[in-house]
Amino acid sequence: MTERRTIEVGAFARVEGEGALHVAVEGDRVAELRLQIYEPPRFFESFLRGRAASELPDLVARICGICPVAYQMSVVHALEQIFGVRIDPAIRSLRRLYYAGEWLESHLLHMMFLAAPDYLGLDDALAIARTQRGEVERALRLRRLGNRILELLGGRPVNPVGVVVGGFVRIPTRGELAALGDDLRRARGEAEALLRWFQGLPVPRRPQEVELVALRHPHEYPMNEGRIVSSAGLDVAAGEFDSAFEETQVEHSTALHCHIHGRGSYMVGPLARVLLNRDRLSPTGEAAFASLADRFEAPDPAASVFARGIEVLQAFDAALEAIDGFEPPPAPHPAWRPCAGRAAWATEAPRGVLWVELATEVSGHVREIRIVPPTSQNQARIEDDLRGLVPGLLKLSDDQVRRRCEAAIRDYDPCISCATHFLTLELERRPPRCASS
Amino acid sequence: MRILVIGLGTPFGDDAAGPAVVARLAAEGLPAGVEAVIPRRPDALVDALEGAEAAVLVDASRAGLPPGTVHEPERGALREARALSSHGLGVSGALALAEALGRAPGRLAIVAVEAGAVAGDGLSAPVRAALPEAVRRVRARIAAFGEEVRGHA
Repeated sequence: MTERRTIEVGAFARVEGEGALHVAVEGDRVAELRLQIYEPPRFFESFLRGRAASELPDLVARICGICPVAYQMSVVHALEQIFGVRIDPAIRSLRRLYYAGEWLESHLLHMMFLAAPDYLGLDDALAIARTQRGEVERALRLRRLGNRILELLGGRPVNPVGVVVGGFVRIPTRGELAALGDDLRRARGEAEALLRWFQGLPVPRRPQEVELVALRHPHEYPMNEGRIVSSAGLDVAAGEFDSAFEETQVEHSTALHCHIHGRGSYMVGPLARVLLNRDRLSPTGEAAFASLADRFEAPDPAASVFARGIEVLQAFDAALEAIDGFEPPPAPHPAWRPCAGRAAWATEAPRGVLWVELATEVSGHVREIRIVPPTSQNQARIEDDLRGLVPGLLKLSDDQVRRRCEAAIRDYDPCISCATHFLTLELERRPPRCASS
Repeated sequence: MRILVIGLGTPFGDDAAGPAVVARLAAEGLPAGVEAVIPRRPDALVDALEGAEAAVLVDASRAGLPPGTVHEPERGALREARALSSHGLGVSGALALAEALGRAPGRLAIVAVEAGAVAGDGLSAPVRAALPEAVRRVRARIAAFGEEVRGHA
């Protein structure tokens, strides 16, 4: 007996950007599954061509409202590589503080406002606020610290403008950093309590075979520097990206799909970072990891929320390390001279590895730029994850299938606006092609 | 009584109407007990509202009216342009969150100036011409809040 059901669902909530999921099942087999990104292409790589190096940090900050720091950091490091700009250790350390601010903002928003409603069976964080007001208040307080960091180094909490080649427009005073440090120290216990609250929620399990990709640094938890490594032994410099990864166009999406040559899809993001860099966690991060060990035995995208919670603690530690060790640099940024050249760089955006490759003219103007954001890299992986998930859900109602798929997609915290180059769900239940036994 | 006048908007085109009205009100002189706030993003509204007993929100609107029309929509008339996303809250979402957290003031008025273009630099002529009327309406709402409280006293 065969019946054909088609389900149309409105735009996905609690993800950023415009897209849809189309699933067609024939009997109990997934015949088609497409994550369709229909957000219009934004042509950033084209209109950045011809712009001066000095304009780039402000321009690329506009690619994304939630991860501007990631774009600024990947691009500014690539430029510094080309121009041979030496980074003062104080600047290097302040950049970790700056990135920590973005991790705090992004992870806390995702954990409480985007993911938590899934675990509580609620429509949104407003419903959580009505019954568990203190939890929401705490997440907001913690997130505000991220805003403060961005404001201090970026000039403002949104579309920051404080980054320049070689450093920052302005270096914060010892007093400003000390005050921020005091507030971070006071709030760290709250960050630990937040993670414990999540550990008490019914977060689903979806362990799977997946190649994890993240940066790895000789002695730090990765943010601004490192080689690109994977759980299957890949280990390349940013400049060797194309030797390991390929970007391809797919018809159903304005975002490019990424694969590892000869192997297939892979996952970037907080889960990959934590699992590939456990030995680089701070003592608080390691203690939190140990308390979650059973969730990290096999890679499980659903455990990403715990990885974010660990990285909130990690961000506190990175921020405090930068603040406590602060020695003012000789200048907010060194003098530099433009030149022609080419360089690639990768940093760890909240959602994962953000790779850029830049070529400049003698004048320092952009001749060519390629940007590979984390959501673009995760897109093929999300499709593979859902292909594994959907067959087990077919006894559920269409609405339940939709909710479970949406929640699985949210585990990757996709930022479609960044990747367009996300979500309505369409589930089509087709009759099986062959007579069932 | 702590009364807030909150100007919402961005620097782009007529979307700057809210901050422009609040700046003009402040320049002309704020009534006693009134604080002017221009949050830098809608989710900052959640924090700004804490501890206020009354608030007037001033914002540009898209209500299908001629540009420059000053009107006072009800709270229930605000709709979110898009659902809560990773990029934060809109005005309606921020108000809803403030309400759920018990932070929303007991008295809330909204003064809106219908926008034309929300791109480019500076306000359009009809919106600029509407600023005095918008300021007058904000003052009237503040006065009414004051009288309501005295009426209850």
